[in-house]
Amino acid sequence: MNDPAIKESGKPQRDYSAFDAQLTHQALNVSMFMRLFGWLKPYKFTLTIAIILTLAAAAVGVLQPVVTGRVVIDTILLPDPKSEELPDFGMGELVYGVSSLTGASPLLSAVFVYAFLVLSTALARYAHRLLLSRSTLQALRDLRSELFRKLETKPMSFYDHVSVGRVMTRLTNDVEALIELLTGVLVLAGEFVPFFLALYLMWAISPALTGITILFLPVVAVATSYFRRVLGDTYRNVRNAVSNINQYMQENLIGMEVVQLSGREDLNAEQFGERNLAHRDYQIHAMNLETVYNAFNNSLIGLATALIIWYGGGQVIQDEISLGSVVVFTQLIGMMIGPVQAVGAQFNTLFRAMASGERIFQAIDWDESTKEPADPIPLPDSIHGELEFRDVSFGYYMGNEVLHDVSFKVKAGEKLAIVGPTGSGKSTLIKLLARFYDFDDGNVFLDDVDVNHVASADLRQRIGIVLQDFHIFSGTVMDNITLNNPLITEETAREAARMVNADRFIRELPEGFETYLSERGQNLSQGQRQLLAFARVLAVDPEILVLDEATASIDTATELVIQEALHRIMQGRTSIVIAHRLQTIQECDTILVLHHGKVREYGTHDELIALQGIYYTLHELQFQDSRIAAELSGEMLDDKVLAEVAASDEDDELQDEEEPGIDTDSDQFQ
Amino acid sequence: MAQFGQYTAPVYRRQRIVRARPSLKHLAHLKRLLPYAFTYRSWIILGITGILASRLCEAQVPMFMRSAIDSLALGDPDILLPVMGILGVVLVRSVISIFSSRLLRRVAIATSYDIRKRYFSHVQTMGSAFFNQFGTGDVMARSSGDIAMVRSVVAYGWVQVLTFAFSILVGLCYMLFLSPKLTLLVLIPTPLVAYLGITMSRRLFPLVREQRQAMDDVTSFTSENLNGIRTVQAMAQEKQEIERFEDISTRYASLIYRTAKYRAKMNLVMPFVTISSTLIILGYGGQQVLTGQIGVGTFVAFFAYMHMVTGPIGSLGGWLSSFTSAAAATQRLFEVLDYQPEIQSNPVAHAPTKMIGEIAFKHFTYRYPGAGEDVVSDISLSIAAGEVVAFLGRIGCGKSTVLKSLVRFNDPQPGTLFIDNVDIRGYPLEQLRSQIALIPQDPFLFSLSIRDNLTYDNPERDQPPIDTAAQLAELVEAIEEFPDGMGTIVGERGITLSGGQKQRATLARGLIRDAAVLAMDDCFSSVDTRTEERILRRLKSIRKGRTTLLISHRVSTARHADRIFVMDRGRIVESGNHAELMAHNGYYANLEAVQSNQDQDRKRKAALLRDLDIEVEVVSG
Repeated sequence: MNDPAIKESGKPQRDYSAFDAQLTHQALNVSMFMRLFGWLKPYKFTLTIAIILTLAAAAVGVLQPVVTGRVVIDTILLPDPKSEELPDFGMGELVYGVSSLTGASPLLSAVFVYAFLVLSTALARYAHRLLLSRSTLQALRDLRSELFRKLETKPMSFYDHVSVGRVMTRLTNDVEALIELLTGVLVLAGEFVPFFLALYLMWAISPALTGITILFLPVVAVATSYFRRVLGDTYRNVRNAVSNINQYMQENLIGMEVVQLSGREDLNAEQFGERNLAHRDYQIHAMNLETVYNAFNNSLIGLATALIIWYGGGQVIQDEISLGSVVVFTQLIGMMIGPVQAVGAQFNTLFRAMASGERIFQAIDWDESTKEPADPIPLPDSIHGELEFRDVSFGYYMGNEVLHDVSFKVKAGEKLAIVGPTGSGKSTLIKLLARFYDFDDGNVFLDDVDVNHVASADLRQRIGIVLQDFHIFSGTVMDNITLNNPLITEETAREAARMVNADRFIRELPEGFETYLSERGQNLSQGQRQLLAFARVLAVDPEILVLDEATASIDTATELVIQEALHRIMQGRTSIVIAHRLQTIQECDTILVLHHGKVREYGTHDELIALQGIYYTLHELQFQDSRIAAELSGEMLDDKVLAEVAASDEDDELQDEEEPGIDTDSDQFQ
Repeated sequence: MAQFGQYTAPVYRRQRIVRARPSLKHLAHLKRLLPYAFTYRSWIILGITGILASRLCEAQVPMFMRSAIDSLALGDPDILLPVMGILGVVLVRSVISIFSSRLLRRVAIATSYDIRKRYFSHVQTMGSAFFNQFGTGDVMARSSGDIAMVRSVVAYGWVQVLTFAFSILVGLCYMLFLSPKLTLLVLIPTPLVAYLGITMSRRLFPLVREQRQAMDDVTSFTSENLNGIRTVQAMAQEKQEIERFEDISTRYASLIYRTAKYRAKMNLVMPFVTISSTLIILGYGGQQVLTGQIGVGTFVAFFAYMHMVTGPIGSLGGWLSSFTSAAAATQRLFEVLDYQPEIQSNPVAHAPTKMIGEIAFKHFTYRYPGAGEDVVSDISLSIAAGEVVAFLGRIGCGKSTVLKSLVRFNDPQPGTLFIDNVDIRGYPLEQLRSQIALIPQDPFLFSLSIRDNLTYDNPERDQPPIDTAAQLAELVEAIEEFPDGMGTIVGERGITLSGGQKQRATLARGLIRDAAVLAMDDCFSSVDTRTEERILRRLKSIRKGRTTLLISHRVSTARHADRIFVMDRGRIVESGNHAELMAHNGYYANLEAVQSNQDQDRKRKAALLRDLDIEVEVVSG
């Protein structure tokens, strides 16, 4: 591993394509379902009761038409001798029992029994819906939280490759699809209990008539799923058209000034018109399909009724069955067709949800993490803050080494400026310090403790990091300073804001510290956001400060305020700053010049000027035009500028190759 | 930690668009849609007739059933007629309802299409006052959410409501025809059903809304958290964030549960109320059958009609709520559509077609609508054609306002701003904007190819001017490095440009027009000073005889100008060329000192900082 011949460090690149996969219809995945049901386990008691209630509700529901048809019509209104031979599932006995018990007429007793059945069905359904949705919602809440927990702790290499949007889809849409699946499909499953009970009743009354009724079901099933599939495709087109419209509109709104400046209004109205028209046409297409589908659905029961009356009527005349039985059939047919239609409608949901479930579990199972020590060394309460890099090498993946044998040391309370062109590895260095990545080779020591042996959470408490793309969360200014960390009091936060000169602009905001900031702080200026980021770090009061200075230039007044704030937060703290401004560099004790991932120069300002190398050139460039506000921005420091230096610098480079880290061995460490 | 089933106030606070709750008063706003729908009046009349016809067909089914059952009860085997009747009526009804609902929904879709088309064109004529009042997010939400709401409620809603209304009407007629007395008895509980149906579903509405908001909370929390994951991890806040997420997610699940519970309750209560009608038919109707007043067929048919009448009543409340929110959405749409464009182009312009570029401000004053004080007050200055002029000053001093007035992003008072001695309001807007190229402060590129971005004003441009502009803006090298060169798509679906590259592309987009007046609004802030200077120098030589205005924070930029204006609180406080201003030893000289004194000691800087701070406070006070 320490063989100098092996310069290519890093890990093999992972395949993240799974996260880009689109939703597809797949085969039934039983193991996914088993795993999903595993999440329901903690709520199995509630679920069991829900299932029992489903059965009960279904049973009483199916008996309602039996009371009206078989008992009321066949024995009270139109007493039919044939009725004796047909089953009435105990309803006749119940009605006449009530009648003899209360002395009420059979008709009144039937009314009582019927009322009882209707109300108990309603009650059972009510309870079963409550319990069912309660348990599934809790289970999916658990699942969502687990997924979030996993995602929240994924290392940066994961987020470098997988877009936030893709991850978001899993947390939102995919979990929603599962909610739909579990609440929808389980309710649906509940509907099938009455389906089978109704089938049983019908069969018991008249197998022949049942046979004719069943003929309808495959037609319903096939037609429904066909329509649903075609409709699904059409709706996808509609949705795409909608997002086309929204995207176009959004971009135009944001760039409205440019649109008006360019006089593009007419052309854009035309282009928008095309999208609008496409949307309209897809919608009309979907609507046309839907009207046919609805008409088909609504006619089914009518057609089935006609068939039952025609065939059943014949049987009544032939004295095969009673008239009441035919009425029972006409009422039960709804219970038969309903669930089949619902299943047809839910079929696509089922497959979509299955794909969603797979994607969720895939994200939960994704094992990618930074190395955490098995037995972490706790950092003492107070540390000196001495930081040392010893031969650190790092590459994001194999064959892409970004840092080569970087060594340097910052003594407690000292300030180090890192200078170098874009792509020199400055930002990577900071990300390593934040433990966003595992470095491949070498060691980093904090007060002589190897940071690889420290828990990253512990380490991050001690190292305050201000990244270039400091994120402003939507929430109040106060929330953005404390970051909801319960350890930071409002007092601390206010004090931190005061220290970095942020309190002035905060006070001028409409509600001071309680002002809401929109996401990414769009209602703040660049300079104000920077100050807020400083306050955020200062509130934690870390022993070590790591800062990636913003590159964009700001107006002079704000610039000075920031410089002042920077000076204050670095005071008495071990600091490492990626500096883009000469003022900042001058704040620091030592300067490290990175180029192509290597330490090229290291020392104090005077030493490096005396060296007449890269730093010297940079410095001279700045002062050729002394009126310019200093910015060592990455763009300026491109390779071409450095090529000018290269001629005079060639000897040094050779030296670097032979003796890596030569600067770090210079006398100042002794 | 929130418990499941507790609907605690949101733990996650974010800014929400607060909107007035839709109420019945809003319903009046729906009439604004009439002119749009009126275009399709013949479709509407046909459609409504169709719905009525289909309901009449529907009502015929129980009548046929009745005659079939009565026949069977009498032992009459001739039931072919009623059976064929049912079949025929069902088929006819299907065909009619397909066509009538197609007609009516098509009206709604076409209407929403028309509205959206007008909306887009209308918004394109709007200026900054409009966008300050509404914000792009809101304008967007109105276009996507509100138009969709209006369409779905109007398209599906009123077809449904008409169907319901006709069902009730037709059902009642048939019931009265069959047995007036039984009808009256059956109707006894319907007011209660209607009342409960309406109140309960109206109460459901806020629950659904809150649930939706909780979903938005989940989405925006995760989106923000994951977008800021670097910050969260760097600050070691994962644990807190996970807890917060669990809270939000539990609250959301609880709210879904609450809605589900309420829905279940509605399903529980409704049978308790509607059952009395059923029991009346069963008991009283049964009695009438026994006494021979009505036949069994009538008895069975009555059940069917009762469903036809009471079924829709329960869901009326739901539709009422939907209609009120659609009405509120309509109101929001017309708030935008009624907004008059702040700037009217002069249609009878008699301005010269070719601009020379002579600019004169005469006692020019500007105040933003609703602002307390003038942002620019009483500026008089004239700029000769071919001059290079720079404006300098702190944020909010009014320099951007001056530049924006040239393209009438802010509308100047009549008689205060002249170009080539013609009042700027005398130019047709299009001509004005095509001959004055303003490079805005915020670089914005569309997610199109680089080429399409550069030729945004005129996609038909030839290659040479594109190349020239790219060269002038020092964009060529960057473009060469892009995977598809000029054809590379930028933005969300393409490559991301650096801040400096974006600014240079924005610059090139303006330069390509080779306009008589070039106005650059601090468009070099992310471009390094050396590049900036190269660009400016080249521009100066190539734009001989044409006017250039620029805004900058950097003295190094401003010093290239023929004249420099330092602005403060809306007034010009210093003017002259670099040397003159340096001699004047005022703000400009001060700024020069701050910006160039890189190696001064900290004390001096702190002193300057204090001076500037005091000034800042004076401004705000």
